[in-house]
Amino acid sequence: MSWLKRKSVLIPIDFSELSYQALIPAQELAEDSSCLKLIHVLAPLHPADPAAMWDTVSDEDRKQKVQDFTRDKLKEMGYDDIPIEVVIGDPTSKIVDYAQEKDVDLIVMLSHGRKGMSRFLIGSVAEQVVRLSHCPVLILK
Amino acid sequence: MEKKLFRLKHYLYGLALLLIVLPRVALAQDEAAASPGFLGSIEAGVQGIVDVLNLIFYFKVGGENGMPFIVLWLVIGAVFFTFRLKFINIRAFKHAIDVVRGKYDSEDDEGDVSHFQALAAALSGTVGIGNIAGVAIAIRLGGPGAAFWMTMAGFLGMSSKFAECTLGQKYRVIKPDGTVGGGPMYYLARGLSAMGMAPVGKTLAVIFAVMCAIGSLGIGNMFQANQAFAAVSNVVPFLTGLSWLFGLVLAAIVGLVILGGIERIGAVAGVLVPVMAVIYALACFWVMLMKLPQVPSAIGTIITTAFSPEAVAGGAIGALVIGFQRAAFSNEAGLGSAAIAHSAAKTDEPIREGIVALLEPFIDTMFICNLTAIVIVLTGVYADPTAADLNGAQLSAASFETVISWFPYVIAVAGFLFALSTMISWSYYGQQAWAFLFGDGTTNIYKGIFLFCVFVGSVVNLGPVLDFSDIMALAMSLPNLLGCFLMSGLVARELTSYMTRLRSGEMLPEPQVAREPVLRR
Repeated sequence: MSWLKRKSVLIPIDFSELSYQALIPAQELAEDSSCLKLIHVLAPLHPADPAAMWDTVSDEDRKQKVQDFTRDKLKEMGYDDIPIEVVIGDPTSKIVDYAQEKDVDLIVMLSHGRKGMSRFLIGSVAEQVVRLSHCPVLILK
Repeated sequence: MEKKLFRLKHYLYGLALLLIVLPRVALAQDEAAASPGFLGSIEAGVQGIVDVLNLIFYFKVGGENGMPFIVLWLVIGAVFFTFRLKFINIRAFKHAIDVVRGKYDSEDDEGDVSHFQALAAALSGTVGIGNIAGVAIAIRLGGPGAAFWMTMAGFLGMSSKFAECTLGQKYRVIKPDGTVGGGPMYYLARGLSAMGMAPVGKTLAVIFAVMCAIGSLGIGNMFQANQAFAAVSNVVPFLTGLSWLFGLVLAAIVGLVILGGIERIGAVAGVLVPVMAVIYALACFWVMLMKLPQVPSAIGTIITTAFSPEAVAGGAIGALVIGFQRAAFSNEAGLGSAAIAHSAAKTDEPIREGIVALLEPFIDTMFICNLTAIVIVLTGVYADPTAADLNGAQLSAASFETVISWFPYVIAVAGFLFALSTMISWSYYGQQAWAFLFGDGTTNIYKGIFLFCVFVGSVVNLGPVLDFSDIMALAMSLPNLLGCFLMSGLVARELTSYMTRLRSGEMLPEPQVAREPVLRR
């Protein structure tokens, strides 16, 4: 069934314990592990965050820290090293834009399933990605 | 470029929100009625919320002339921590100054900023227009004696501030990007869970986050906007009927900073605020110098009226209640908000940042607020029957005016900048609380609400704004201090251990360690 396998799979990750679960099906659906790519979207620092106020932490520092963190975490969990793209901004639009730009074949992500009011008002990032993505999206529940 | 566009997009969303309400506001202005119309309905709405909140938090303990429950709660908290931690506010004072001067800074410790930078960031949230207007409100409502109780509250509040900021530092989380997440949400949830009270901790954390997200709209937003308008319209009379215009401009400036990412404005305010604080303090000293012979009697008035039952409607208790309320409102001790900023400090000793934090009520309340109080009492404007309708920032301005005729202009500029920097800081606290509840991805909704409230605060009268801000701010102390009480044993143990190590010379100031590398081996 290797003709069904994807050449490029994007896995949005937010570093919650659950979000790593997307790695397993993503590996199964990809041709090999070199076809996998992680993406993490950081929120911009609030201007009154002490780190922003005193300009002690740059966007580059933050991205680098996430890269290092991911490498260590994947190793600890027994996965091969998977490259990660770290961007800053609104999660949905950044994920969708990146997938389009890199012509990704499939996005695999976990829906956290917001509860109550929050779900009603906002919906989840996963829901929005499904709506806006150019490629198939696999949502794990 | 893309980033700029992204930010711009969100800024435009916020602006659109305001533009939706603009036409209706303009309409209300055309009708030229003081209260009915759109502005009136906003005011009625705020008043309605206040009435409900009053019932919940403000019931009086001890009969008609008793103390509102929530103020009693704050007093108990401040007194409890002062005794439980054996007057930490006095005995750690010198060490606090040493730490702020950078003697114990270490680059290797985890965190984002130095002790000094963390204190400055927290102070930009505490030193607000409350230091000018809040004191005047206290004296107007509670007589000069209220100023004495404000000082007392500042002194005792140093201890509760110490406790909450120590916990904030101890239970912070370092995120994958290296930035720090901290504050009552974290220490209530994580700290109490470590004590085997996970459900209690989680509940208190959520209650706090809700109170903080809503509270930030009062103390750190509507009150600031309201009094900034009072201070500015005081010297620019044609603005008096144009509060909606002022509100829109102020909301646009705050929006540029928190949505548009134009951090320069925030940085400029950050530089100008300390400068303004110094100018303000110098002016206070100047007024005292001009009226030097009367200074002792003014201080005497403040102290004697603090204990005289006939001082105000509520008697001595009334002055005490108002003093504690306004002090907590100004220095945030017991509310927990400052712990959010303090947890970013670079250190591996939570106690050390707590000690730095106790300087905050000292600078804010015991120093700056007291200067304002002495000036107001000294000039006697508060007691002048012809000035009976002056309150808040306008009363302070009128007091200075008797000695320095052009000073209301300085108050307008200083007040505006104080209010701006405080609003930006509180939008950060509120946003952290919001993110704790709903996640990082949705904070733009909070920012939109925040900007709308800047506008509301500017157009509504002081009364309902003050009531709403007071209740919501003090309500934050309910979950926060409850958690701090439960964890006070831990704070006391850590403090004893820290002080023992400090005295034994185990923790040398950093430069000394560097100079004598032998000691390290």
